[in-house]
Order: sequence, then C-alpha cells, then structure tokens
Amino acid sequence: MMMASMVANGNRDGRPGEALVLKGLDPETCMIVFKNHWAQVVKILEKHDPLRSNTSSNMAALGVIGLSSGGPMRFGGPIPGDEASAVQNYVEHILFLLMEEDAGQAGAMGPILEFVVMENVMERLFLWSLRRQFTDDMKLEQLKMYEMIVGQARQPLLHHKPVLRPLMMLLSSCSGTAGPEVEAELVSLLNQLCCVLAKDQSVLELFFHTSEDQGAANFLIFSLLIPFIHREGLVGQQARDALLLIMSLSAENQRVAQHIAENTYFCPVLATGLSGLYSSLPTKLEVPGEEWHCLHREDWLQMPTLVQFLNSLEFCNAVIQVAHPNIRDQLVSYIYNGFLVPVLAPALHKLTLEEVMTTTAYLDLFVRSVSEPVLLQTFLSFILLHRHENVHILDTLVSRINTPFQLGTVSLALFQTLIGLYCEDVMLQLILRYLIPCNHMMLSQRRVVKERDFYSVSAAKILALTPSCCSPEHSPPPLRQLDSILWSKGTDNSANTGTMETEETFLEEDGSGYSCVIGSEIYLDVNYLHYLYNARLGISSCTRACQVWSAPYDGEDPPPEEYQPSALEEAGARGRQAQTVNPKRSHPHPRPRPPCPPQTTDPAPTNQLELEWDDSYDAGPVVSPEAAAAESSRPPQLPAAEPPKHIQEMRRTAIMLVKGSYIEESDFQDDVMVYDLVAKKDARDTVDCRRPSRETLPESEESEIDSNLNLEEDHFKESSLQEKDEVPLSNGLSLPLHPTNMEVTKGSKEVKAHVADHNSNLQSPSAEVGDDLMGQYEELIRTLGSDETGTGGSSHVKTVDKEFRNPVVTPMEEDEVDFSSFSVDTPELEKPHSSLFGTKLRSGSTRSHSVPFTGPFVSVLLSRLENMLDNSLHVNLLLTGILAQLAAYPQPLLQSFLLNTNMVFQPSVRSLYQVLASLKNQIEQQASTKKDFPELITSAQHCLLARESSLKGQDTNSGDSRECSPPEAGRMMKSSPPPQPKTISLARTEVFATVLFTEFLKELAAIAQEHSILSHVPMEE
Amino acid sequence: TYLNDFWEKGRSDGEEQSGEQQQQQQQRASPARPSFGKKQLPSIPKNAVPVTKPASPAATAQLANGTHASYGPFYLEYSLLAEFTLVIKQKLPGIYVQPSYKSALMWFGVIFIRHGLYQDGVFKFTVYIPDNYPDGECPRVVFDIPVFHPLVDPVSGELDVRRAFTKWRRNHNHIWQVLMYARTVFYKINTMEPLNPEAAVLYDKDVQLFKSKVVDSVKLCNSHLFDQPKMDDPYAISFSSWNPAIHDEAKERMFTHKRRPEDHQKGLQVSGLSWVKPGSTQPFSKDDNPPQS
Repeated sequence: MMMASMVANGNRDGRPGEALVLKGLDPETCMIVFKNHWAQVVKILEKHDPLRSNTSSNMAALGVIGLSSGGPMRFGGPIPGDEASAVQNYVEHILFLLMEEDAGQAGAMGPILEFVVMENVMERLFLWSLRRQFTDDMKLEQLKMYEMIVGQARQPLLHHKPVLRPLMMLLSSCSGTAGPEVEAELVSLLNQLCCVLAKDQSVLELFFHTSEDQGAANFLIFSLLIPFIHREGLVGQQARDALLLIMSLSAENQRVAQHIAENTYFCPVLATGLSGLYSSLPTKLEVPGEEWHCLHREDWLQMPTLVQFLNSLEFCNAVIQVAHPNIRDQLVSYIYNGFLVPVLAPALHKLTLEEVMTTTAYLDLFVRSVSEPVLLQTFLSFILLHRHENVHILDTLVSRINTPFQLGTVSLALFQTLIGLYCEDVMLQLILRYLIPCNHMMLSQRRVVKERDFYSVSAAKILALTPSCCSPEHSPPPLRQLDSILWSKGTDNSANTGTMETEETFLEEDGSGYSCVIGSEIYLDVNYLHYLYNARLGISSCTRACQVWSAPYDGEDPPPEEYQPSALEEAGARGRQAQTVNPKRSHPHPRPRPPCPPQTTDPAPTNQLELEWDDSYDAGPVVSPEAAAAESSRPPQLPAAEPPKHIQEMRRTAIMLVKGSYIEESDFQDDVMVYDLVAKKDARDTVDCRRPSRETLPESEESEIDSNLNLEEDHFKESSLQEKDEVPLSNGLSLPLHPTNMEVTKGSKEVKAHVADHNSNLQSPSAEVGDDLMGQYEELIRTLGSDETGTGGSSHVKTVDKEFRNPVVTPMEEDEVDFSSFSVDTPELEKPHSSLFGTKLRSGSTRSHSVPFTGPFVSVLLSRLENMLDNSLHVNLLLTGILAQLAAYPQPLLQSFLLNTNMVFQPSVRSLYQVLASLKNQIEQQASTKKDFPELITSAQHCLLARESSLKGQDTNSGDSRECSPPEAGRMMKSSPPPQPKTISLARTEVFATVLFTEFLKELAAIAQEHSILSHVPMEE
Repeated sequence: TYLNDFWEKGRSDGEEQSGEQQQQQQQRASPARPSFGKKQLPSIPKNAVPVTKPASPAATAQLANGTHASYGPFYLEYSLLAEFTLVIKQKLPGIYVQPSYKSALMWFGVIFIRHGLYQDGVFKFTVYIPDNYPDGECPRVVFDIPVFHPLVDPVSGELDVRRAFTKWRRNHNHIWQVLMYARTVFYKINTMEPLNPEAAVLYDKDVQLFKSKVVDSVKLCNSHLFDQPKMDDPYAISFSSWNPAIHDEAKERMFTHKRRPEDHQKGLQVSGLSWVKPGSTQPFSKDDNPPQS
C-alpha cells in the first residue's frame, strides 16, 4: 500500500502490515485504538517535556526556550532511541486512523479528527520532532507525514488550524538550508497543497489567516515556492507547476492577485532569475559549421544551461498566460526592465563577433520560444524601440545583416523569424513607415500602388531575367523529368492542412501523378506549379494573419500626405511618447521605472553632437547622456518607488519569521536579501533626491566630475584595447565597449566611464560562475546594489520621463545618426563592407528629408542580394527566403514596391527588380567568360537536388521543422552538413547563386501571379 | 468563394475525373515520373497554346517580348483568373458565370432579367475568350437560345458585343464589362445596325408586336431552362426544379453564410499581431497599452 510504504520510508521500524489490519474496524473501535495510542505517545512526550505540568503545549513558550538557536534541541538529556521509535510507531497508526476516517454527518468532523483538533495532536507531534534533533531526516519524516494525510484524508483537514498551523511551521522550517532530499519533499508537499487550493478555494482564506496569526509573511506556501522557480530538474518543474496553479487561481481571485503583485517578489525574482540564468549561458557558441545560423531544437537540447533558461522563459510565458492582469503586467515590466534592457541589450553589444552572434542567436531563439502575445510584445518593443547607447536595437541588428561572417547570417535568421510573425509593428518599423509617404515613387505612380497586375506582366518580366544558361529549355533531360530544384515546399506546409494538401500527399503516396496536359510538344516548367502552390499558401496565410492589422497600407490608408517627412516629425514626437510606455500596463505598485531609455538625445550628425549636448545642460529639457547610459545599461531593476513603510513591514515579518519561530537564521535568506536590497535602495533614493542632479550642477563641479571620469575612461580604454578579443566576461554581465569610438564629447566620455565602472562591478560574478544558480542570482542582486550606489543614476529617471515630452528629434535624423554612429563605433566588424555601406549611410545623413529612402532594412537586404554571386549558398537561401517572405505580404505598398515591375520609382530608389536585373547581367557575363559554366550549372542543380531530398528526409524524421523558422523550413539548413557534391565545390558560389537566382525568379514570379488573383478578393473563407 | 470553388475544382475535381486516363498513359510512358497531378493546370484547348516545340532551344527560348514560352500558359491562366475574381468583385445584379471545366477560355453564364420588356427572362449564355487574351479581340457572348433582340443573331444566338468594345484594350477593358453590357441590352434597346433586323424594325415601328414577340421568346427560353446543358461540361450551368431534399439545405447555408466568417476567425491558428492604433503609424500605440508613467 502506497501510503503505508511512504510512512515506512520515513520510519524504518514501520510495520505496514499492522496498519492494514486496522482498516476494517468500526468507528468506535478506531476511536478507542486511537486514544490508546495517543495516550502512549503523550506519556513519552510528557516525560521529556521540560514544562511537564503543561498538558497542551504553547507555541509561544518555545520561543522563550530558545529553539531558534539552531543547535540540537534537547531537554533533559537525549531521548532514548526506543522511546523515539515507539512514538513513531504509534504515530503511524494514529495518522492512518485519521486518514481513514470519514467525515461526520453534514460535513462535521469525524470523532478522531475532532480529537486531533482538540488535543492539538499535530502541533505536539511537531514539537516532539523539534525536541529531538531536528535533522533533515526528521524534517523528511514530518513532510511525508503531511503529504500523506493531506493527500489521502477523506475529510478536509486543512480547514482546522491545529492541523494547519504546525504544517505552516514545518514548511517554514524546511526552507532555505535543507538538503536536496528535504527540498524535494518540501516542494512536492507544496505542490500538493496548491492542488488542494486549486480545488477548494475556501482553504485559501485559511492560509492567509494562519499566516497572519503567525505574524509571518502572508501566503507562505507561495513565498516558499519562489526560490525554486528557476531550479532545474523535477523539483523546479513541480515548483513551477504549483506556482502556475496559484497563478490561475489569481486570475479569479483578486486577493491572491493583489497579494502576489504587491506583497511578494514573485515577479522580480522571476525576471531577474532570467538574467541570472542568462548569465550562465555560454558567451560563445560552438558553431557546427559555417552555414549554421540559428539554434535548432537539437542544438539547444545539448546545452543544459539553455534548456534551463528556456524552461524559465516558458514558465514566464505560462504565467503571463494564466495569471491575473496585475501580475501579468508586472511580470512583463520586470522582464523588460530586469532582463531585456539591463542584460540582453548590453549582451547584444559585446566586443567580439562571436559573442554578438551568440547573443543574436539567443534572441532569435527566445522570440521563437515565446507564444503569449503580451510577452512577445515585450520582446518586440525591446527590439523595435529600445535604444542602447542612443541607437535603436533594431537599427543595430539591421546594420549587422551587412557584416560578412556568421553574424550577418544569424542576423538574417533573426529577421526571418521577426518577419514570420506577421506583426504590423515589426513591419511598420522595418519597412512600411518608409513607404507610407510614397516618396519612393514618382508622384504619378501613387494610383498604381493599388492596381493589380491583370496579365502577369510583372511575373513575365521577372521570369524574363532568367539567365540564358538556366532557361528551362536548357535543362538536361533528367532534370526536366525530376522534381527539379525546389526550395520552399513540402516541409513548411504541415501547419496548413487544406484539402489540397491532403490530396497531394495522397497522390504522392499513390505515385500516380502526371505532368503536362499540353503534351510532350513543349516543356512546361513543372516545378513552377509548386511555386505557385506555395505562393498561394503563403499569401493566404499572410493575408489572413494581417486581418488584425490597423490599416491596409495601400497608399491611401494611412494617407501619404499626413506622413510626409515634415509631418512625420510631429508624428514621431508623439510616437516617441508612446514609445516610453512599453512594455505595457505597469502595475502601480511596486512601480517599475519607465522601460525605455531616454530617446531624446538629439541624434544629429556627429559633428553637432557636442554642441547639442552642451546646449542641453543649459536648456534643461534634454536629457543628460549619463542618465541615458545609466538607463540603458542598468542591471536588473527592483521597484523604484516602493513605499518604505511597506518594505519595513515586509522586513519585519521576514525577520520575525527568522528570529521568532523555529527556523534557522538562513531560512528565507533569499527573500530577506531582496527585502534588504529594496530597503537599501529606498534609503539611497532618498539620498539621491537630496543630492543635486547632474543637470543642475555648476559648470566647475561638473568638469571636475568629468575629469575623474576621463581618468577612468582612459584607463579602461587602454586595457580594453589590449584585450579586445578576449573579454573575459560572462554572458549578460559584460558590457558594451566601444574603445575605438572617437566621439570625444562630455557625454560620450561619461557614457563610457559609466560603462567601465559598471563593468568592474560586474566582473566579479563572472569569476565565480558556478553551478549554483542561486549563487549567481545573489551575486547579480548584490552587484545591482553596489552598481547603483556607484552611479546614482536612478535619480534621473523621473526627469527623463518628463523630458520625453519635448523631444527635439525627427525620426529621419534618428536613423541617420544611428547608422553613422554604428559605422564609426564598430569599424572592425564592418571593414570589408564598411566603405560601401558606411558611405551610403553617411551620405544619407546629410541628405535632406525629402530624398526618398526605403529604409535601412530594404537597403541592406538589397545590398546583400546584389552580392549574391559572392555569397555562400546558405546566405543566399536566407536572403531570398526573407525577400520571398516579404513579397508574400498583401499590403499594396509592399507588394508594389517589391513586385510591380511597372512602377516608376524615384531615381535614387533601388528596387528589387533593378538588383535582379543587375544580377542577371553579372551572371551572363560569368557564363560568357567561363566555358564550363553550363556543366557546372548542371552539377550544381544535381547537388542541390540531392541536398533537398536529404533535407526532406531529415525533416520527416525530426519533425521539428516548425519550430525553427515557420514559413521557410524547407529552405533551412540543419546543423549537420549536407552531403558534399562530388563534382562541384560549394566554393563555386557564383554557380550555386546562379541556380538559386533562377529558382528565386520563379518563386517571386509565382508570388506576383498569386497576388494578382488573391489579394484582391475579400477573404471569405 | 466562387473563385475558390473554381480553383478547387480546376485543381482537384479535374484530377479525379480526367486524371485516371492521363495517369495510365503517363505511367506507361515514364513510370519514374514524380507526381504533379495535384497542381495540374486545367487543360488548355488546342487552339489556346500558341507555342510549339522549339526547333532550336536557343533560338526560341524567349519570345519576342522577352518572356519565356514555357510560362505562357501560366500567364494566360492567371489573367483569366484575375478577370474572374474581378467579376466576383463587381457583384453584377442577376448575372452568374462559371468558367468551364475544360477550358478557362470558356465561361458559362446566366442572366436574370428582373424588369422591363424582358422581365422574368432567364437566359443562359456562353462567353468565349480569345486565346491570345488580352491582346486579341473582345470576348464573344452567345446565348444558348437566340433571344428575340435586335442585337442578338437570330440563328447563332451571338450578342453583338463588338459594337461596345470596338477595340479591346488591355487594362481598360474587362470581362465583367462585357457581362454588364450583356445585361444592359435587355433594359435599353438599341436598334442601330442590328443583327436581328426584324426585331429592330418591329421595335421601331410596332412596339406592341415587338413586346409580344419578346414575351414569346422569354417563354421559349424559360421552357428550356431545365434542359440538359448544351455543352457537355461538368461545370456547365444546369437548372433543376426545386427539390427540398437538396435545395433547402443549400438555401439555408446561403442565408447563414454571412455569419460564418467571424465564427471561423476565432478558430484560426494563424493570427498576425498588431499593437498599432488605427490612424497611427507608431508601433505599440494601441490604447490598451497605456503609458507607464
């Protein structure tokens, strides 16, 4: 029998056989047996009770006796072993009788339970175990005892304080220092209690009341679970499951929600825990091959730390899904301010390519792992709107597409993920906002935007770019008969189970297809049908997804007139206020800081920076750069405006819990630590308020500070230049360093000085990275404390917030400066392309607002596409994949820009068609100069076919294609390298690019054709 | 949904019916051939494909306009599909068309005349689209039964469409306009240069007699309504008398159709994301994202 054996586990002398015998007895007999056993127990108990005269024990008395000393608790000498085991045997029987007792009539207590309550049986048993050595074994025994009776009793036991109270004391005594076994049992019991709670909410009230009696923190079972949130293995999973039960409870129960949001540190612990876990991730990934570009399931399953992080992220996702809006909003806000901004943003700006690439791959994985829209929004608003050192994360990521090496590829994969979300906000920031004014086309062309291509003119023009060496008629006979080269089919259809697909698979299994009705007379490009089919699927799902969008983006709505550059300035100004809001819905208490760093620093061309910033000191309303730096690089945030009274109360109860009851000092240390930090921070905030803020400092004082900072900076520069390539920082804790940045202004100095300072603080944890998460987490919080004392940056927060309202900047300027500053900042990353790219951008920064610009993303994509012949195969697969993804969007602005070959654009605007035409010319040139080009093409086609079929096989085996990159799984390469072709080396990029180019033309043409019939029909399906 | 029906049928039903013969032939010819049956284009009539086997691939790989011959059928197919979607969009009163199963260049149609001289007339017709569409002449409209009308040939039943579209201009002229014209002629009688001089003369000289001839003609047409379609084509329009067992349910579905899209949307798996407030172009500007200050 299970419960008997459970007891037996805790008690080696247990005799389960005897317990079973009791089962058939009538209630009266049971009662008699119970009382007899209890009398025996009491006899032994009283013999060892130092206050013998007391029949019922008084909990308060125990405090006096000094049980909290932490040492072994014995009175009147050691308790003999035979007595202990006798008690144990009696107790086993007693509990079994209690468990087996049915409730009385009308829900009344059964007689045994009544006796247990009246005689305070459970409490006395608990005290007895304390009186002996309260070892882990003893705790284990007690925990198992409760687990058994809570789980198995036939009548509700927890409603009775004499049962509940000792349970709570036991629980609090078991937290903290206990060994792994005790922890496991504790969490298991807590999980069980949560299950009871979820079923019977009336117990909930009692949990609160009991705690109040205790003077301890409310809702103890919840607080006890918090330290296990990020634990790996079964214990962590059980704890998270239990917490999730409470979270869903909170959705209906305002009191629980309020308690969790206002009186516990659930949300900050959860969010800062992410930071902690992130810090233990490898800073550099062992990349399997050059073509690797994103973390697949099979990749991260090999990395325990990443699995653990993803577990916690998934848990956040689940909490956000089920919890009360108050908790949800608070958590989202902490994730933004406690993980994304202070940890991920700096990690995205590390020094080496490998580190930055790794972070980018992580970010991509995280975005793919998150499903709850609110959490996704948090990540997206971080990517789209957050500025790190005055540069939007988005702009940085976009510019990295243009880096050669793997960073560019990984960045492309990230954008593939982002575009695959069908998110209006993403598309707006990436492309649409540049197209809305319609300045990229001739004025007369505006009416063309919405026109549809009735006669597939664009498709024909695109296909006409097919290089002569690749025209379908030239394909060798075997290829004509085969499935030919097809990139984006099969594997990505799994989500769309339409009738057509079912039939297709049926037919394919059947092997009974046929190709051309038109007959053998002419060759009809059969694989083009696949492209049409996939285009149809892609456009349909995209169109359906975009139904939730706010506008059609058809050149009329939003109206181009309202979003001309001049008007955009105001819109942008308004918008920037809105930008400060994210992530959404802060909870008033504890109040998080505004999530975005200040976006008011004027990003005018570099040479103006100093002037601008100097002005800002006088004028006041512009935020100071050091505040910006403090904002953007601050470590995990604790609530800033915590009412001290509240904190003090929290502390008091925590201390009472520690000192006043039976638990040892270190119990609740995590919570106490948090409380302490918050309290310290509170105190500091008050100090900060009294201190003059930087803006109001007199000039002399200011320069003094500056010179100090300069020293630091110089020192830092030196060292960082020396070890540029081996920055020994652990992930997430290291900081963005731009030692080559030559913008010597007060502001930038301070930024870097701050960075240096920050860095030195944060290096210690990296040195001690151990297996123990908690240790890292503590370290993290500790550094948070010291860091903040160092910079005093928090005092700026409010000013910054206020100053958002008067931004001096226009959106156009922002972009320009973002890019020029990037190219100045990181020349070592950019070198091979920087001349081209940098020049372009810099020329952009001087151009007037009215010069048409289709945005950095489009520009970078097309630049890379133009180099298609030099790109490796996998880069080209990603590039063409992204462009095909974009082309499938139904918004006329986008469609007309990418696919309408009749559109007349402004001379300065480069169109996709132009790039394709230039590629065709390059290819024709290659083909004319290389005699063996046609043969090479053929072997490349065969090679790619073989690869395609091997990928297909993998996909059906792993079943993981959906997880990687939603719409383009078929294009993707898996971690394992493809079979090398015998006849042609992948290094012949121009040959592979030529084959791919030809297929890409078909893909685009097919998309254009399907648009002509799909996008104009109202969706009624 | 017309389009979808069309599409589905063209691509699936079609397979089932004609696929079997094809399949047998093909398998004999090349057993290893992979299956593309599913994505087969509807067959194109013999006269529709202006392309022959190239004598020398290099010379004929591209047509004069630079487009590949191989793709010609696709362009034609999609041009016609685009026209068809446009017809659906116009929601022409009392006009229904359906492309034939055998050729996208032939559409079956029916016009319901709701008032005027031809009131209660139900005229079936066929639209023939030239195979060099859209560069050829305007599509032809031929009534199954020659209606008594000045512009309808009393023998062939062909409507004089060309007078309205003297020159067919791509991008300007669309098939829905032809259909619209076919409807208009029954409301607004034109007797100039008639194909049926008798009808024209009567209309001008003796409207009463004209009217009674029209009534007779309408009666005749309607009496043949339930006949087998003239064309042996699975998609030809055929009428049958009301059969509650079949039609009640279909009618019910048509009347409840409008509610369905919303219901359907809820269960959609693929959903996009947007936090953009309508009228704004700022990301995350929606009202349910209140500022955090």
